Amino acid sequence: MGETNKQVPVTVLTGFLGAGKTTLLNRILTEQHGKKYAVIVNEFGEQGIDNDLVVDADEEVFEMNNGCICCTVRGDLIRILSGLMKRADKLDAIIVETTGLADPAPVAQTFFVDQDVADRTKLDAIVTVADAVHLSTQLSDHHEAEEQVAFADVVLLNKIDLVDESRLDAVKERIKKINPFAKIIHTTKCGVSLSEILNLDAFNLKRILDTEPDFLTSDHDHEHDDDVTSLSFVSDTPLDMEKFQDWFSKLLQTKGQDILRTKGILDFTGENDRYVFQGVHMLMDASPMGKWPEGKERNSRLVFIGRNLESMNLKEGFENCKSA
Amino acid sequence: MKADSNKFPELNKTKFENRGKEFKLGIPVTNAITIGNSIAVGFGDGTVRIFRSGQISEPIKAHSGVVLSISKDGEDILTGGDDGRFLKISLDGEIKEIANFGSRWVDHVTAYNGSLVCTCGNIVYLWMPNKKEPKLLEHESTIGGVAFDSKGRRLAVSRYGGVTLWKKDYSNKWSSSNLIWKGSHNKVIFSTDDRFLVTSMQENQLHFWRLKDKTDSFMSGYGAKVKSFAFVYDSKFLVTSGSNEAICWPFDGNGPEGRKPICLPYVGNKLVTFVEPFPNENAIFTGLSDGSVFLSEIEKSTNTIIIRSFTESEVTTIAVTEDCSSILIGDIGGNILWTSIWDEEEK
Repeated sequence: MGETNKQVPVTVLTGFLGAGKTTLLNRILTEQHGKKYAVIVNEFGEQGIDNDLVVDADEEVFEMNNGCICCTVRGDLIRILSGLMKRADKLDAIIVETTGLADPAPVAQTFFVDQDVADRTKLDAIVTVADAVHLSTQLSDHHEAEEQVAFADVVLLNKIDLVDESRLDAVKERIKKINPFAKIIHTTKCGVSLSEILNLDAFNLKRILDTEPDFLTSDHDHEHDDDVTSLSFVSDTPLDMEKFQDWFSKLLQTKGQDILRTKGILDFTGENDRYVFQGVHMLMDASPMGKWPEGKERNSRLVFIGRNLESMNLKEGFENCKSA
Repeated sequence: MKADSNKFPELNKTKFENRGKEFKLGIPVTNAITIGNSIAVGFGDGTVRIFRSGQISEPIKAHSGVVLSISKDGEDILTGGDDGRFLKISLDGEIKEIANFGSRWVDHVTAYNGSLVCTCGNIVYLWMPNKKEPKLLEHESTIGGVAFDSKGRRLAVSRYGGVTLWKKDYSNKWSSSNLIWKGSHNKVIFSTDDRFLVTSMQENQLHFWRLKDKTDSFMSGYGAKVKSFAFVYDSKFLVTSGSNEAICWPFDGNGPEGRKPICLPYVGNKLVTFVEPFPNENAIFTGLSDGSVFLSEIEKSTNTIIIRSFTESEVTTIAVTEDCSSILIGDIGGNILWTSIWDEEEK
């Protein structure tokens, strides 16, 4: 995913039916202040969307023939984004609303896999609207709800006026356990400042450096069920690049289906640059991101969000990458 | 080089540019269709303009968004837009709306002898001549491309997982068979002799079927998606974009399997974005990502001449008038060149 000014940012709105996606969408569109947005919707007709550029799409997920077993992309998005890029008037942003039961991975993977999409647009952030009243039940009943939280850069915890404080804390805990990176914003009726959900550049590798505090904790219970959880690791000993690449590529190849998202900042022996990466299932975006800041200690930090993480011997694998 | 070209732009112009007409419209050119010696051009603001003898018509306000697809029915232009409209436009600019699908896009349009086709999502809408209501041909996934064979008896519809081949019997009933190949298929064309069917895929490759025995294979090795391809010279070659060279696959005999393509290189090593056959010749016009356009003879790669120098905007369309006298080149930056192909003395 290259970086040029010409890339139009794409915000993906996920969330279960009734959580408030359309309310948020209409709020964005009425507060747009002269900006030109295209909105790609999938549940058209349920509630009106007040914008002159609404594209009706079918969520078409298809497999790529590139040998990567879990590499699915959204075919309709490739088609629509390519079409939108031919427009004479330039768009300020594109918003993709997904259906309530959608897995966000194919949407995110589209931006890694399709060169035309990656050249002209960029995934800005995945914003998940969650209903504070029903999220806990939805997380237990539907794996899609877990995926939507796991992939989120922002969770808009909506309808907080309908729950008491202890229930709100409990649901927040649940979100944090699945996804420690996501910024949680409390709202009633999706009342949020647009600057908190648009133009976040959350998939830019540089931004990962800005969210360093999220890497700190590594508290996790040992769960052995299908729940999505996260695990993070820190090492003050520099890593051996070859060992790390060997371990990590094998890990993604064999366990990529269960690993939903990864992020990391790495300190390799003999390298002056920080290495930053992020991944969605088996797909990775990685790059050296300049020198380590002076006076700051160098260390490696790595976070996984996924299922069955405990079975992957991640700690041992990571430890083995340390330079002898 | 660049500084020089800014200072003395006329010095870097080709003879074709010098004797032609340039139009700097600043609106992305999306597609074009030749109707006789006129060329209708579709734009990214939904307008269509007609070019004839180096003259440009007033903009025809056809669609509110992008002209996504263009074709012709006799002397009329057919367009599909991202405003959900399927239109028939006369050369003097009269617009007739054939269908309106609202917020669904009309992705592809084509026609054969008065039968009009547009696609919207996974459905082909087919209007038989003089019928008011269209026939609906439904597919399991969104349609990537649509094409009639040279006799109008078969309609190929590419989609996810292969191609649906619709066949019309003599009582005008349509039945379908499937050509299967995993993955997402986009543009589809028949060879000019109807023996082969070729699709471009989401992956950087093409797929082809030999229709008499339905054997199939792929053509790969491209650095980018193959968006533009066409058969030249009685289907002797399939010429393709998607690489830094124009890749020309031999389709005479049993087709390209086990044979090597001819690769035509160009100065500057830029991506080939558009290919257009030179009518009735074993030659092609090749448009590149920097806006330059060349004319090459396929089997004599030394016979390459430059038609247009670079504009820094990728070539999105090339069209030749029916009498082969003139060519129109359009790019994503909205630069259009209309020029005569032959020198005065060559005529």
